[in-house]
Amino acid sequence: MEFLHFVRRALVAQFSGLPPRDEFVRHALDAGVGSLPLLTLLTIFAGMNLSVQAYGTFVRFGGQDLLGLFCGVGGIRELYPVMAAVICGARIGATLAASLANMQISEQVEALEVMAVDPMRHLVAPRLWAVTLMLPLLCGYADVVGLAASYWAAVDQMGVNGGTFMEQVRDIVHLEDLAAGVFKGVVFGWLVALVSCYHGYRALKRDGAEGVGVATNRAIVHSAVLCIVLNMFLSALLYVR
Amino acid sequence: MAEQAPAITLERVCKSFGPNRVLHEVSLVLPAGKILVMLGPSGTGKSVLLRCLVGLMKPDSGRIFIEGEDITALDERRSADRDKLFALRRKFGMLFQDGALFDDMCVGDNVAFPLRQHEKMSETEIAQRVKEYLDAVGLKDVQRKMPAELSGGMRKRVAFARAIALQPRIVLCDEPSSGLDPVMSATLDDLILDLHRRYNMTFVVISHDTAEARTIASHIGLLYKGVLQTFGTKEQVLRSNGEAINQFFDRSTKGPIQVL
Ligand SMILES: Nc1ncnc2c1ncn2[C@@H]1O[C@H](COP(=O)(O)OP(=O)(O)OP(=O)(O)O)[C@@H](O)[C@H]1O
Ligand SMILES: [Mg+2]
Repeated sequence: MEFLHFVRRALVAQFSGLPPRDEFVRHALDAGVGSLPLLTLLTIFAGMNLSVQAYGTFVRFGGQDLLGLFCGVGGIRELYPVMAAVICGARIGATLAASLANMQISEQVEALEVMAVDPMRHLVAPRLWAVTLMLPLLCGYADVVGLAASYWAAVDQMGVNGGTFMEQVRDIVHLEDLAAGVFKGVVFGWLVALVSCYHGYRALKRDGAEGVGVATNRAIVHSAVLCIVLNMFLSALLYVR
Repeated sequence: MAEQAPAITLERVCKSFGPNRVLHEVSLVLPAGKILVMLGPSGTGKSVLLRCLVGLMKPDSGRIFIEGEDITALDERRSADRDKLFALRRKFGMLFQDGALFDDMCVGDNVAFPLRQHEKMSETEIAQRVKEYLDAVGLKDVQRKMPAELSGGMRKRVAFARAIALQPRIVLCDEPSSGLDPVMSATLDDLILDLHRRYNMTFVVISHDTAEARTIASHIGLLYKGVLQTFGTKEQVLRSNGEAINQFFDRSTKGPIQVL
């Protein structure tokens, strides 16, 4: 109930005009560029792992040439968007929740109120926009890096034919799949930001520093769970006909 | 023009947190352009009173008028009321007890924040105003520092500069002098008097410091256990010889104000 009220206020704030530019840029940079090292590292290993795992299985029935198929479907359709959402979501969500909760307990949010500045518009809206726009980009980036890592492991390390690999990827991964990944990114980004802002914003002064910890913790757990559960439904919606 | 509405009117304001009765039937009228020093021991609801004045907290009962407009009638959740509430809040500058500086902004941006939000001033004008007010509170070369790099007293002074940046009609100060050395707190008192004279601002200053009350107050109130024990002009109050007020001014442990 309280969450729905927050969502309503957040939506109103988000779509009533442009968010303050400085805040938006700051959070977009932090969410986007700040997530790159972590995401790069993890997708490289996840991508290689897809190849390694699939190779071990497929080679038994001589199907190692299907590696591209597997890496394309598994990686681009499913793994990378969720990974980007969960990993970056945890990172970004923790930052958002902690910063808002800290502002609550040190009365900065009330200070905004007294200055007749709407905290929803000034604090929450730019964060929502920033993460909603950055997460799909991160998903796209994870696709590229992950696929490159799969290719490297399969072709350069395990001797799969590079032409076949790419052909299969091109065969199975259509533009719609990339679009679907990006679409998932938008949904995940918005949800992660919303849930994290909600937990941060809800912290109370009397909870003190502990309240910041609780808010951060909830933001991480709830956004990760939401992303993974929702991913299943989104996939069902997008791919099952 | 009809006679100016009083800056602040409280009518039987009550506020409790669960069983904890914090404000009990507080009524007062503060005319515009006056300086009220609100005294009272720690934990009697002074900060809560200030929060009620700006609509951060809603009294359980009673009404609060700001320049004749009822702030307690406004419901934050309704957007029309919210606009009115924000319009009312534009009259206020508020110094929070702990400063409440934005800790992701440097000192200069903190003071400039309300100006950037509400005034159509050029950046040079803003920079000028920021420098003027930071100088006035005795802070030099701190503009680029972050709040976390400042001492408690410095933070308080930055927060004061931010509170008065818009030259509001009513300034609420929650213990401006606590944590400051005597010279600095006297400087701040002078600044309050100066602003008061120049812009006819109304001040509500919460303080434990009776010397401060003597210097700057036009009105004095004493809050104890949620009840406004004494309220009136400085002369009235000092002449009244009330037990509680005398105890406060004499710094005595004997009297109606008990620690436990
Ligand atoms: N948000 C809140 N929730 C519950 N109780 C509160 C809240 N805010 C204040 N109180 C209670 O109200 C009482 C008065 O608090 P307040 O902060 O107004 O004291 P004060 O007069 O400002 O004291 P000090 O001089 O130490 O700042 C305290 O007993 C406090 O526990
Ligand atoms: Mg207080």
